[in-house]
Amino acid sequence: MARPQDERFNDKRPDPDALLAETRRESRGRLKVFLGAAPGVGKTYAMLQNARRLTAEGVDVVIGLVETHGRAETSALLEGLSVLPRRKSDYRGRELEEFDLDAALARKPKLLVLDELAHTNAPDSRHPKRWQDVEELLDAGIDVWTALNIQHLESLADVVEHITGILVRETVPDKVIRDASDVVLVDITPDELIQRLREGKIYLPETARRATERFFTPGNLTALRELALRRTADRVDDQVADYLKRKAIEGPWGASERLLACIAADDAAERVIRRTSHLATGLNAEWFAVHIERSGATPDASATVRIARALALAERLGGQTLRLSGPDPVKQALKLARRENVTQIIVGKGRQDRWRAPWRRSFAEGLARRAQSVEVHVVSAGGASKPPRAKLASFLDAQGLPSEGLVAAVAVACAVGVGRGLALFLRLPNVSMIFLAAVLFCAVWRGARAAIIASALSFLAYNFFFIEPLYTFTVAEPHELFALLIFLAVAILTGSLTGRIRDQSAGVAKNAAVTQSLYEFGRKVTGAANADEVLWAAAAHLHGMLARPVVLLMPDGDELNPHAAWPPDIQLDAAERSAARWAIDKAEPAGWATGTLPRIRFQFRPLMAVRGAVAVCGFEPPSREGPMSPQDERAIAAILDQTAIALDRARLSQEAVRAASLAENEKVRDALLTSLSHDLRTPLASIAGAASSLRDLGDRMSAADRADLLASIEEETARLSRFVANLLDMSRIEAGELRMRRELVDVCDVAQTAIERCRKAFPHAAIRASLASGLPPVRGDARLLEQVVFNLLDNAQKYGGDGETVVHARQEGGEIVVSVTDDGPGVKLADIERIFEKFYRGGKTDGRKAGTGLGLSICKGLVEAMGGSIAAQSPAVRRRGTRIVIRLPVEES
Amino acid sequence: MTTQRILVVDDEPQIQRFLKVALTAAGYEAVLVGTGGEALKAVVTRSPDAIVLDLGLPDLDGKAVLRDIRGFSKVPVVILSARDQEAEKIEALDLGADDYVEKPFGIGELMARLRTALRHAAGAPPAPGVLRVDGLVIDQDRRMVTRDGTAVKLTPKEYDLLTTLARHAGRVLTHRQLLTQVWGPAHADDTQYLRVFIGQLRVKIEKNPAASKIIRTESGVGYRMAEGE
Repeated sequence: MARPQDERFNDKRPDPDALLAETRRESRGRLKVFLGAAPGVGKTYAMLQNARRLTAEGVDVVIGLVETHGRAETSALLEGLSVLPRRKSDYRGRELEEFDLDAALARKPKLLVLDELAHTNAPDSRHPKRWQDVEELLDAGIDVWTALNIQHLESLADVVEHITGILVRETVPDKVIRDASDVVLVDITPDELIQRLREGKIYLPETARRATERFFTPGNLTALRELALRRTADRVDDQVADYLKRKAIEGPWGASERLLACIAADDAAERVIRRTSHLATGLNAEWFAVHIERSGATPDASATVRIARALALAERLGGQTLRLSGPDPVKQALKLARRENVTQIIVGKGRQDRWRAPWRRSFAEGLARRAQSVEVHVVSAGGASKPPRAKLASFLDAQGLPSEGLVAAVAVACAVGVGRGLALFLRLPNVSMIFLAAVLFCAVWRGARAAIIASALSFLAYNFFFIEPLYTFTVAEPHELFALLIFLAVAILTGSLTGRIRDQSAGVAKNAAVTQSLYEFGRKVTGAANADEVLWAAAAHLHGMLARPVVLLMPDGDELNPHAAWPPDIQLDAAERSAARWAIDKAEPAGWATGTLPRIRFQFRPLMAVRGAVAVCGFEPPSREGPMSPQDERAIAAILDQTAIALDRARLSQEAVRAASLAENEKVRDALLTSLSHDLRTPLASIAGAASSLRDLGDRMSAADRADLLASIEEETARLSRFVANLLDMSRIEAGELRMRRELVDVCDVAQTAIERCRKAFPHAAIRASLASGLPPVRGDARLLEQVVFNLLDNAQKYGGDGETVVHARQEGGEIVVSVTDDGPGVKLADIERIFEKFYRGGKTDGRKAGTGLGLSICKGLVEAMGGSIAAQSPAVRRRGTRIVIRLPVEES
Repeated sequence: MTTQRILVVDDEPQIQRFLKVALTAAGYEAVLVGTGGEALKAVVTRSPDAIVLDLGLPDLDGKAVLRDIRGFSKVPVVILSARDQEAEKIEALDLGADDYVEKPFGIGELMARLRTALRHAAGAPPAPGVLRVDGLVIDQDRRMVTRDGTAVKLTPKEYDLLTTLARHAGRVLTHRQLLTQVWGPAHADDTQYLRVFIGQLRVKIEKNPAASKIIRTESGVGYRMAEGE
């Protein structure tokens, strides 16, 4: 089977994944594990000896924590080494001494020595397990040396239990060892070890002495030693393969296998996981663990716990985990296998199957029949089978039983009453139908279990009240006994079937409600305009769903602050804040029921968007006992995913707005530069050209030509000074430093002066003035107002074409209205508002029209400073022309 | 010698105004147009001896006009450009413009460029022979370069570079043009290379290499050799 994974080894390039892994290894601290088969082989001793040697060589070595157990030779080795003070931890009145992780991180030595990798931390520590402390130290770039006994390796826990009969509680995930840079095997022979034990050289806690002594048998030790040796040898194999891949040396590492463990809520689940992990380690393969739920089924609490535990184990062992649901689990499993290129499927054969109807195939059988290119391994539950008593207990144990029994009893009592009552009036051929009705009623109202109880009660009541001899549980006629048994079978069958349909429809309704609520949430966040609105919607929705406090945090620069919470006044304490920080920094859940600060109130989950974690959601779990139900789990995941997407969208739309305004600014700046360079350079070029022509060639020119050149120099100088004046006015207006006089101004006077100035600048301009006489004065600055009217006229000359320009002035109520109307092509409706913007220019964009794009915006600034308004109308007359209208308030005398 | 006809392509009336007066006074016949379209028409109908072309025209890009003109005519073209149009200026020179003048300019500068362009066009290629400039004698017939009478030892590439500049004395040559002619088209973008060779050349031929008089740098554009004496 050719798969893409193999193809990349065909050309002799180094495997990119291997190279990537190597760079990651380089930035991370290096982990060295001193591995032993049992306590007392001398791991700590070997570790400390090496540490002394490095210290002597000048390496910055710090002892994080080493238990000497009062052994003199070990204590002697600690002499002269730098030892980190321990953290005092108070737990229920007992004082515990713990490794101080934060002190180690702050000290940041080159190498930290930390004994007992499998140690369980005091309850108030950041991580429940020491190996998690080590991970954090490695992430911080600190090299770590540690010691471990082989029995503490997660994947070997059941093997060790099998060999030694001792249940191992403190375990370390295999990936810690797998990712270690070095594993040093500290080995002595079992005989030597037993000898040392006899000499009292091995420290054992007094309480555990007897149990542990049973552990130190030659058989056990030999088996453990073999495990340790084999594990170390496997690692060497891996390193060789890695090396070959990295250097692109062709080798016999074969096609990479991918394994899939399918687990059900039965007792085989954990075994399936361990088996798969073993196989995967042996094959050097990637693996997945999946639980597929039949859609509509509602697993009970204990099943949920079992699945969650099995999947958590899979994660610790280095597998990827998934939860799926579908109408046909076998089909789902095969689909997943195809998608992920799985080569082997491992499935459990739980005893639950025994309760399955004989005509239905088990999951394992279905898989074996329908799998085509995939191998299927079936793992049995192993161990002693659960006695039937336990089954019965679980039937009786679950909650709701008393009320269901009561319902069944009442229903059956009613059936008896009705049956007896009817029997007084008419002879019923078959009273059993009434009991069947009672059973079905129970099934519909309270589910399958109530129906089964009702069936049993009906069986007894029917016999007691209706079958001769009456009021006894004996049956006289054999055919009646037969009828009675048939009744029981039919009642149980119909009752439990009806009950199951009811349970399923309840499940469907619940799923539909979840879907509906997700849909509503989706609509809510789609409408949200910014990140905070999204977060508030998410907080309100999660609170509505879980009925527990919810808080959402987002980073503001370096700080992580609550942005939304329900109830809104939630305060987070230091531990909760640091769990939230952890969740966003490491992009993994933290807090309650996780590997980081598991004892706090909240669980914090990162909201993952394309660019990584964007926010953190903290919520109190619906129940502190046991994991969350898969429905809640799925709903929360879906809501957080949607929230993350909505946050991303909000951010993108904000960035788009910002980019657009940046682009707009850029355009304005470009326009300014073009305008400046053109408007300054053209007159300068004319002046320089004309002046140099006069000097170089003046004696060869006619008097008229000389006069023309001199005139052109004057005109261009005037043009330049107008431009400079405009620029200065603009910058004064912008800087708010325009000094404006507040004198009484006769608008007609001002307009007249401006018209004369314009006639001088544009000798060929046709300007007509229509100024009402006797207009009241306005308050303002005559010089600046003249500039305004001049700018309007100047504009009319540039854009208005060759037609006549008309200046109007009249009074309208309390306002003096001055307008300048040209006869040009007019301004497009879309641009009419923009013509007062800075650097907006009519006509072509290349700046060829002589405008600076400043004139009108200066007018607007000046008129508004004088308390007036300015507006443009286009077309002005007969679908042509532009009219600019200024309104100034009349000064009240 | 008949009156030479100069076509001025510029849309600014004030610039047209003084150029017409100045060109006429300098003894040329000035033809003035304001757009690229009119310019192309005038090149055909009026057959000018040289063209003064503004790069920023209202209808067509000045470079497009130049490209069209070069499609059918070798008439010398002097570009009028602004300082911020450097890239366009170089492009225009590479497209076959003979020289450029940056606005604002003195009339003397424009006239000098026009004269050189007209001369190169008339005697193209300019007589090889001997070029004297600032005490340096470049004798292409004898492949000899002397400085105040003493022979200057040049590598073949330095000699090629020097004679390429000498053949176009008075005209600007862009980096690309020099690189293409001396090193071949594959090296057209190795400006760094050229800079090193020019530096070496200056040390060998200039009286004061720090203030070179023979090979002038046209910043960002190329090099120009001073005209012979």
